[in-house]
Amino acid sequence: MRSRARLVVEADERRSVVRELRSHAPLTLFPRRRREEPSGAVVVHLVGSATSPLGGDDLELDVHVGPGARLLLRGTAATLALPGHRPGGSRGSVRIEVADGGTVEYLPEPTVVTSRAEHEAELAVRMGEHARLCCREVLVLGRSGERPGRLRSRLELERAGTALLRNGFDTADSRLRDSHAYLGGARVLATEAVVWDRDPAECSGDGWALMPLAGGGALSTVLAGDVVTAGSALARAREAHPCGTELSPVAG
Amino acid sequence: MTERQHPPPSGPASSLAVLALADARLPGGGHAHSGGLEEAVHRGTVTGPHELREFLRGRLHGAGRQAAVFAAAAAHAAARKAPRRCWSELDTEYDARVPSPAQRAASRSQGRGTARAGRTAWPSPALRELMSVTDSPHHPLVVGVLVGASSLAGPKDAAAVVAYLSLSGPASAAVRLLGLDPFAANAAVAAFEADTERLARAAARTAGLPAAELPSTGAPALDLLAQAHRKHHEEEVRLFAS
Repeated sequence: MRSRARLVVEADERRSVVRELRSHAPLTLFPRRRREEPSGAVVVHLVGSATSPLGGDDLELDVHVGPGARLLLRGTAATLALPGHRPGGSRGSVRIEVADGGTVEYLPEPTVVTSRAEHEAELAVRMGEHARLCCREVLVLGRSGERPGRLRSRLELERAGTALLRNGFDTADSRLRDSHAYLGGARVLATEAVVWDRDPAECSGDGWALMPLAGGGALSTVLAGDVVTAGSALARAREAHPCGTELSPVAG
Repeated sequence: MTERQHPPPSGPASSLAVLALADARLPGGGHAHSGGLEEAVHRGTVTGPHELREFLRGRLHGAGRQAAVFAAAAAHAAARKAPRRCWSELDTEYDARVPSPAQRAASRSQGRGTARAGRTAWPSPALRELMSVTDSPHHPLVVGVLVGASSLAGPKDAAAVVAYLSLSGPASAAVRLLGLDPFAANAAVAAFEADTERLARAAARTAGLPAAELPSTGAPALDLLAQAHRKHHEEEVRLFAS
């Protein structure tokens, strides 16, 4: 299955509005209109409308956020990466462009890599000079008691044409996953990249670290045995970030 | 009597520069770094030769491979007399692939030491270009430049040197920290000969890519170890700087 979805958000006089929205199964976008966000952000939910990604699937979401606009893009349910009937892995790609003065928060639900899946996940964000970004990724390696398939993930952030972060990760084989110099046997790997108005000092605790990047912005990395523990470690990293309270809460 | 000049041999060559750069006795400051092993020992996750070998596996395929990719790219650029812009791109792109500030600092401090040794032993226009971007370049870039300037060695050799150092540093630290049998520690390194060869070949294959397209090979557990080490290093006495 090949899917191409697209979302364009622009700033109106006093709030952000959706200018273009193209869902393409299994990527379905739902703008939420129930109440106005205090931040003036437009809220869109990303819903997986079919069992996906399966081996052979190729899913792409393009997001554009205009100058001064603010988007909160949320997931609604965990994504299960599954093997397909045909050979070949699946690929999911999200590309986000944020113009100068725009803000994007991308908070999808966890991705679970099931046994024999072969999935490639890419998130590429290109930001203008004074754009702001928060994006989270939670990878769960196998359902409970299950050995995971293979997942390669890539997170790339560029601001004003300069790379801030290129963070690739390959689940590789079980011996490498168990190495304390690689993944330390963790079942859950969670990251949150925040590029906001101020950058934090480095801070770390049991199973997590908040790390300022060389070119600006920061990355929180968490290793945990389960999603709940990973979520509370990410919350502690947010508390240590000077802009942590300006970010939208994760459960919404 | 004058020494006769021989043409470079074909096939695998070992230039003196390659051997010296991989030698722990190079006065570049590498001995001060344990590559996360001291923190792992402190936590009790590495206690003997078996755990050391498994630690080295992650070191090599995560941080070691990342360094190898950039050492090969730097050797490729040095051999082609790349302009200054290319060195500043490699510097920024390596930074972007090392999210841990503690690991960036360790890489730059070893780079600065190795560059100092290199300026005296193997001066080259490429080294001057790299040093004009920053006086503390990343270690893999310095090794790549020094190897690339030699007519006897190339990107694969530069990759092999830093991949080897990503193993030998923690292994010798394990001898000091755990009183580990030095023969067992050495055998733990030697176990990765085939892996190191494959990884160096792969790094040589990507050496000519634009810096932005070079692979990124993250190792999140090592990032956490490096950050924890730096925090504890400030609070209590530690033997190694990283």
